[in-house]
Parts: sequence; C-alpha cells; structure tokens
Amino acid sequence: MPIRVLNRAISQAISWSLCAIFPDNGPIPGLTRQSTCDRVEQVLQEAPALLILGLVGSWVAFVLAPVVTIGWPVPALLLSNAALDRHASKMASHPWYWLRQPMLMLKTVGGAIWGERPEVRIALGLQPFDSDPGTWRGDFEVQADSSMNNSGPS
Amino acid sequence: MSQGHHLAYRSGQPLSVVADYVVVGTGAGGSMAALILARAGYQVAMVEAGPWREAKDYPETMLGVMRDVFPDWGANVAVGNSILPIVQGRLVGGGTVINSAIMVRTPDDVLVEWQRDHGLGDLFSHDAVGRVQDEIERELSVEDSKVDAGAHFGRSSQMLLEALQGREMEAHPMRRNVKGCQGSARCLQGCRHGAKQSTQLNWIPEVLERGGTVLSCAPVSRVELKSGRAVGVIGRFVHPQTRVKGAHFAVEARRGVILAASATGTGPLLEASGVRSPALGQYWRAHPGAGVIGVYPDVVDMYKGATQGTASIHHRKDLGLKLESLTLPLELVAGRTGGAGRQLTGRLADIRHQAMWISAVRAEAVGRVKRGLFGAPSVYYRPTQRDLERLRKGVSLLARAHFDQGARSVRPGVVGLPFELGPDQLHLLQQAPLHNRAWTWVLSHLFGGAVIGDDPRRAVVGTDLQVYGVRDLHVVCAAALPTTLGVNPQHTIMAVAWLMAERLANQDRSGYT
Ligand SMILES: Cc1cc2nc3c(=O)[nH]c(=O)nc-3n(C[C@H](O)[C@H](O)[C@H](O)COP(=O)(O)OP(=O)(O)OC[C@H]3O[C@@H](n4cnc5c(N)ncnc54)[C@H](O)[C@@H]3O)c2cc1C
Ligand code: SF4
Repeated sequence: MPIRVLNRAISQAISWSLCAIFPDNGPIPGLTRQSTCDRVEQVLQEAPALLILGLVGSWVAFVLAPVVTIGWPVPALLLSNAALDRHASKMASHPWYWLRQPMLMLKTVGGAIWGERPEVRIALGLQPFDSDPGTWRGDFEVQADSSMNNSGPS
Repeated sequence: MSQGHHLAYRSGQPLSVVADYVVVGTGAGGSMAALILARAGYQVAMVEAGPWREAKDYPETMLGVMRDVFPDWGANVAVGNSILPIVQGRLVGGGTVINSAIMVRTPDDVLVEWQRDHGLGDLFSHDAVGRVQDEIERELSVEDSKVDAGAHFGRSSQMLLEALQGREMEAHPMRRNVKGCQGSARCLQGCRHGAKQSTQLNWIPEVLERGGTVLSCAPVSRVELKSGRAVGVIGRFVHPQTRVKGAHFAVEARRGVILAASATGTGPLLEASGVRSPALGQYWRAHPGAGVIGVYPDVVDMYKGATQGTASIHHRKDLGLKLESLTLPLELVAGRTGGAGRQLTGRLADIRHQAMWISAVRAEAVGRVKRGLFGAPSVYYRPTQRDLERLRKGVSLLARAHFDQGARSVRPGVVGLPFELGPDQLHLLQQAPLHNRAWTWVLSHLFGGAVIGDDPRRAVVGTDLQVYGVRDLHVVCAAALPTTLGVNPQHTIMAVAWLMAERLANQDRSGYT
C-alpha cells in the first residue's frame, strides 16, 4: 500500500477519535471530520516516528477500552454517539494511569487542532490565528564591526 | 576586515570550520559564554541543533510550536513512576526564545551552598555573580513589570498580586528582560513584537559582528577527543522541517570546546563522546510545577497581559515553593482540562473567565539523564513524597487565593478529586492524593547531568572548569549547576556562563594550557 494511502487511512481513524473527544457543545464548535483529518495527515507527514507511534497506540487503546470504561465489550467504533461520549469522558478520568495516558496523548493533539480552529476561537471570543510561516533564516554574512577588537589574543 | 557567518542547513560537501572556541548550544548559557569569549577577542563558532528563527518566522499555533520550536515535537519526557513532559526550545537562542523573560538573581543561600558543598566559592562569589548580573540586566533591558500598565500587565497577574499581598505574603511584579512588552501572553510561541530580549536578537548577532560563526540546524553528535584533549566537534546538518540529514560538518577548536546543550543535551553528548565519569548524567534535578485554574464570574481574559506577571517567593525557604501567574495557550488548556467529549468542550466555554496560577517546587528529587534510543535523551525522574506534599500546599494556597479574589470555583486538575471545587471544598484539595500520577506536572526548569564541583566522584566538571580527565572541554549551561535554585534559572545560568568564560579568557592570557 502506498504510504500516502496508509497515512490517509490512519488520519481518518485518528481524526474520528479526536472528533469524539472534542465534539460540538451548544454554541461551542467541536472538531469536524474533514478538516481534522487533513490536519492529522499533515502531522503524520511531519512528526517524528515516536510521536506517530504514540498516537496510533493511543487510538488503539481508545478503540479497545469501552469494555473497561463503560463495561461494553465492543470496540468504540461501534458505539452510539451517546455511549461514545460517555466512554471518552470515563477514559479521561479513569483511575488506571495507563488508560488515562493514551487519552492525554489524543487530547494533546486534539486540543491543539481544536484550539487553533478559527470558528472555535471566534466562538470563545479569542483572536483567530494567522497561518504558521514555517520559515527560518538561511545563510547570511555580517560585516565585522571595525570598532570591535577581532584580532584575537593569540 | 573579517566577517561573521551564519551557516544554515545544507546538503552535499562536508563543511569544516576552524575557531578558537566552539560553543555547542546557543541558549542562555551558550550565547553568554560565546559573547564573553568573542569580546575577549577570540574567534568563536557556535553550533546549534535547531534553526535560526526570528519574529516573522515564529509559529502561531501550538502544532506549529511543537514542530518549529520544541525538540522532537515535544516528545521529550522524564519517566519515573509517571510520565512528566519536559519543555525546552530547540532553535538559535534556545530556551531564551520561548521562555517568559523572567529574570531573577541568584539567591545568596544558593551561592553559600555551592561554596560549602561543592567548593565553588572562588568561582561564584556573591560579589562576582552580583557584578555580572548587574551587567546582564543592563544589556538585556531587565525591568520591573509595571502593574499600572493595565492590559499589558494582565488581570490574572494583577489578581494574584492582590490576593497574596492581601494575605500579607511576599509577592511582586516580575522583573523581565523585555523592551516594551505588549502583553500578548504569547511568550511560549516566541515574541512576535520583538519585545522579549532573547539572545538571538542581541548577543548572538554581536558574536557575528565580532567575526564569529554560527552553524544552525546542526546537531553535534560527538566531541572529538585527541590525547585527552577536546579538539573539536562533528555532526550532520538536519533539515528543520523534513528532518532529512544533510552535509557532515566538523568544527576544529584551537583552544577549547564549550558545551551548552542544556540539562538534557550535555550529559548525553559527553557520553556519546566517550567521556567517562561516575557523575556523568547524575544529579539531574528540576522545579516541577502544576497549575490551578480559578473560574471567575467576570471575564478575566488571561490572554491579555504578560505571559507571566506576578511571582511570590514567600515560601521559597521553608517549603521550596515559587508561586506565579501563567497564561497557557488555549490549545494546551484544552489538552490538559479534565474530561473528554461534550463535557470537555463545555468546560472550555468559559476560557475567558479563567485565570491560571502555578506552583513550582524546588524539588529534592534527584534523577539522571543518559543517551537513549536513537541518541535522544532519556531522563529518569521521580518527585518524592515530600515534593508532592509541598506542591499540594502550594496549589492549595493558590486555590485559596483564587477564592479571595472572588473565584466561583477552582480546577486543580488532580485525578481523584472532583473536577471543580467550590470554596467549601478546599479541604479536599488539602487531602489530595500524594501520587505523581494524580498530578499534572510539567518540567521546564532543569539542572544537572554534568555538574561542576571539587569532587570528581560527584562532579563531571572540576573547579579548573575542565571536564575531569579531558583538557579544554567545558560545560556552561544548566547541566553544570550542582543544585536547584528555587527561582527562575536563566539569570543564574547566564551569570555562571559569563564567569566561566571570563575565567577561561583570563587563564589563556596568563599562559594556561
Ligand atoms: C516554556 C519555558 C519558560 C521558561 N521561562 C523562564 C523564565 O521566564 N525565566 C527563567 O529564568 N527561565 C525560564 N525558563 C527556563 C530557561 O529558559 C532555561 O533554564 C534556560 O534557557 C536553560 O539554558 P541552557 O543554556 O541550559 O539551555 P537552553 O537554553 O535550552 O539551550 C540549549 C541549546 O542547545 C541546543 N542543543 C542541544 N543539544 C545540542 C546538540 N547536540 N548540538 C547542538 N545544539 C544542541 C538546543 O537546541 C538549545 O538551543 C523557561 C523554560 C521554558 C521551557
Ligand atoms: S507577553 Fe507578548 S509582547 Fe510581552 S514579551 Fe511575551 S510575547 Fe512579547
């Protein structure tokens, strides 16, 4: 399978869980599938392998955990919206640390994508962001200041 | 007339540079040492793992910060019986680009401890540190935050100041190295207003003006040792966005190699270079911190004001606590607010009514750092029971202060407690679980891993400033600090780096080899 197709499939899976963690609530917009998927895909392309591995592992935990959180032995993918919401909320405050940690990982990335959405920021009364420039300085030279002593003591 | 050069990522032919001194890392310690040596007339090459970014290059979003500013997208953590995120900057200027610009002088009791327990009295006397900290403050335009600056100071900081002073506790507007702070509460993303005096705006350009060289996007993989002497460094450029490896580089050092790769970078780099010492990677310490959010009936707007404006060291000596106001980006608040699903988005709806205050602990825990998988640092660190008790006291105190200021509720972020506590539930916080896993800690003040001291069993760097057993190899960043401070560290790191570089320059002049 070409890497692009795999990336898209993983992005779709992860964005589904992020949308469940950050859904609409009244006037506060949640994450939307399409734009979240695009952003996750970009993250997968740029992030180091360790982070991607952590994200995928956290998604797997999220999918398999309903049996522990709400006592339903089905993958989270098959839950109704209401049950999924309950599962997400229980997982986030579960007494097992190793269940909360994958949720924290998903929330960190989900929170970053949610909090940068212009619709969310406007709804919360915050300034929307410009895009990230992603730039840096290339080579340049500086003429040495002749008033400074550059001759060296050696 | 000589020229200064900045050499960024490149592929193709290997690059070699020769200088008197090579400084690895361009943060608080590295840029300071490079400047002092350049002013003494030496040719200095600085080698930095991250790229050179300026105001127009800074990211806006948190994902942008993770990609462009943090090492490995912020995946660095300390592991003990819990996972603690480590926040650092990986770009020219290091931590000075993303920190909150707070400048606190080295407390006298720390210098006394260094003298008494580590034999550092000659190097870091009260007078010497005071002298260079005066200079540093002048050069970096350090000033008291102005409470009457209204929105530029910020309501959250103002409320903390009033609350603590109302309890007759020491509290003060912070001293910061800023020129005309606009109160955009975005220090973590890098200051787009150019107000924060991070070192790539002043000291590093001066090194270039003095004929120095800066290599960026250039992580050093090893210090070259020959016959027990450090003679240079080698590595390979890495593209700042794709992380593709580029050309090899080698920097030859005629007089010495100075490591300033931070408390997570320097120990592992020494290890990779074949330096052996029982103290290498040991005595790794931190000021772990945790926050408590107060939710107010009125709008607070913590996003208007200095990222951090108020501090208190009232309980520094008895409890090792430092209390501060802090604004975290919405994206981080979202990730760290309890709950998930509709409950979570509902809890974030009142963000403009929230004020975040934090308590950091001068922790007694001692950890270690070593080279981990693929060369990334691996940190073992586990706050002790007493550290937790003290953190809990600090957070409880801040929660009380929130209620003094009229907060409707507080959100301590402690697992096992209700998400939100009212004024009559403070006793729950005072009895909160004393387990690291229950608390949301963050580590941003880090120390040790290659500490300086007069005993080679307990230190990596000797009082002659050289790594034990290796000539002309020095450490000038937070890795060298033998203890925590109980205050924000950059001023101390800068002063230590200044004094060490000054001593090196003087030793050279007097024929030291
Ligand atoms: C979010 C945040 C806020 C803070 N706020 C404050 C504050 O307001 N006041 C304060 O006093 N302190 C603050 N601190 C702490 C302070 O910034 C640090 O203590 C200080 O920058 C550490 O200085 P350093 O020289 O040890 O390392 P750094 O400043 O971290 O610099 C180390 C540099 O070395 C580079 N490097 C690492 N490995 C290599 C390698 N192999 N090759 C080449 N280069 C390498 C890194 O990329 C980095 O640029 C804050 C820290 C953070 C993260
Ligand atoms: S608060 Fe804003 S303007 Fe002030 S130093 Fe920080 S980033 Fe710059």
